[in-house]
Amino acid sequence: MLGVVPVGTRDPRWFAVDLDVSYTKGSLCLMVHFSVSDTVLASRQLVSGGWSFASSQQASIEATCLAAFALADEMPANAGASTQFLLKSQFADGCWPAFEGDSEGSWTTALSLCYLNGMTDFASAREKASHWLVEERGREAHWFWRWKFKTADRNVSFDPDKYGWPWISGSASWVIPTAFSVIALKQFTVCNRSELSEKRIRLGVDMLLDRACAGGGWNSGNSIVYGVPLPAHAEATAIALLALQDEERTSVIRASLGWLKQKSAAIESVESLAWCILCLFVYQEPVDHLKAGLATLVGDGRDIRNNATLATAILALRCGEMIHPFVVLR
Amino acid sequence: MNIDRRRFVGSAAGITATTGVAADWFWPKHSVSYQRPRSFVAILNATEYSEKVEALLMDGLRLFRLNLNGRRVLLKPNLVEDLPGPVNTNADLIGAAARCFLRLGAAKVVVGEGPGHQRDTELVVQAANLKPHLADRRIHFVDLNRDELARVKLKARYSGLGELWLPRTVLDSDFIVSMPKVKTHHWAGVTLSLKNMFGIVPGMKYGWPKNLLHWHGIHKCILDICATVPIHFVIADGITAMEGNGPLQGTARDLGKIVVADDPVAADATCARLMGLDPLRVQHLSDGGRFLGNLNANRIMMLGERVEPPARPFSVLPDFEYLIAPTR
Repeated sequence: MLGVVPVGTRDPRWFAVDLDVSYTKGSLCLMVHFSVSDTVLASRQLVSGGWSFASSQQASIEATCLAAFALADEMPANAGASTQFLLKSQFADGCWPAFEGDSEGSWTTALSLCYLNGMTDFASAREKASHWLVEERGREAHWFWRWKFKTADRNVSFDPDKYGWPWISGSASWVIPTAFSVIALKQFTVCNRSELSEKRIRLGVDMLLDRACAGGGWNSGNSIVYGVPLPAHAEATAIALLALQDEERTSVIRASLGWLKQKSAAIESVESLAWCILCLFVYQEPVDHLKAGLATLVGDGRDIRNNATLATAILALRCGEMIHPFVVLR
Repeated sequence: MNIDRRRFVGSAAGITATTGVAADWFWPKHSVSYQRPRSFVAILNATEYSEKVEALLMDGLRLFRLNLNGRRVLLKPNLVEDLPGPVNTNADLIGAAARCFLRLGAAKVVVGEGPGHQRDTELVVQAANLKPHLADRRIHFVDLNRDELARVKLKARYSGLGELWLPRTVLDSDFIVSMPKVKTHHWAGVTLSLKNMFGIVPGMKYGWPKNLLHWHGIHKCILDICATVPIHFVIADGITAMEGNGPLQGTARDLGKIVVADDPVAADATCARLMGLDPLRVQHLSDGGRFLGNLNANRIMMLGERVEPPARPFSVLPDFEYLIAPTR
């Protein structure tokens, strides 16, 4: 394991782990994985301070937020550069684009706000972002489309009165952007609640509960199309449950949690498994066996080309050692 | 001169209609045409997915005398979800196609896909069992949902989108091969090589699913995307196809065919006929037949087997029963 550390690594934690003889063999291996993955992720940071998804020079806001979260404790200089990049990337109206060069606001505004919520500074940037999120809504929020979905277009079963957030302005509400927006606003309004933000959060929560699949969990949006129930997705379910972590444990939430626990045991994909761990940890479910499986899949991180996936895996493997980036304390 | 209201309304309607037709004539909705005098299509018989598929496909490809020397080939399969059943283009066929194109002289073969529903692309690649085929170092996989993007002006204006951000991997390819799974589709009627190109639209910009395209009209967006990113070749997986409530919840239908073509409209028209559907009634095929390729059977040269409609047409949802071709 020691031979895979890049020459010239500046990660001080690596050396600390190397010298720490109190760890058992298994946990030492896990620590080694963490440290090397950190270095791999840090080495892929762009000059701008952001991260692209893979090998390009085009920074993605999603990859940047997740990587900054992952390195915040261990490599604060890298995270600091990405914070500056994020602040520069914010548009005047408070939103963020999906990637560098794009000129439209997107769902990544929620993720960026989650990241900035963990800091005491940048109140103005957070304020503008929250204002944009409160105003943003899925296209079905418009009375005409609500009327159409209620009367003329019944192939997709959902309650259009309960709308959330879109991936991109001009499209309908979907589970993942709605869940991240709910988390971001819940975090932002911990000490700062207003009637408007509470109403918007409630609408988003109601939308998530309305779109849940029959057997628990969430697909990407609707749960029934042409009368046929859609299967749940692990990632969407994990993120939706994170948004509902402080809500009353209704049957929908209990069924979804049960579905995710069962599903997570068989997942062999880094991204989905990492989100399962991040979610189940918040619900105080045992995750050690999942973390061990994830550590094996991640290896030293070099084979994971998607930086957002690698960052999410690092966050999942660190659950319990750091402040959870998506925890809601209300 | 007195003009009563009825005459005025009638005249106005006539002028509007004439103007519309004239505008379409003088200012067509597409600025390109990929139609050629003749298109070539081959139907290959294959009853199962096995190692024999590669030899069969190679024989089929040789009929087209493709010049691929030094070219960068992009295979665009249809990988949508980690679901059981014939949801995704079969991995054995994708792997066989990649190896065939390398043998035909391609400098590089990339398999690229941006799944429309499932954000975890690795999960879809695992479920499709594509990983063993990617072990060949000469075959690369690119997640088109998260590739570097470039803003591209669309070469048709059916959807009104004007422009789209598209993946560099797609734009830098010399030879694009659409590899659809032959399926019915609950919004578009059918999903074949043209509809398959929705998968090049990046999720990182447009989300999962690429809902903006639905709001702007599925058929219209198909036309705009395929006008902008021309498909050079088609290998359609119809060995086990899907009927009913496709593209995810339908039922398997053994068709036993691989359709290979140098024209996406001709390929899709042939697939539709094999499904017992009338291609002229599929909106994006009917419109695409004006500029994306040949729809008319007279301009489609069959290399080998002729198109035989099935004894029983593919089942479709009630909204699409009008697609079923009249029996002779």
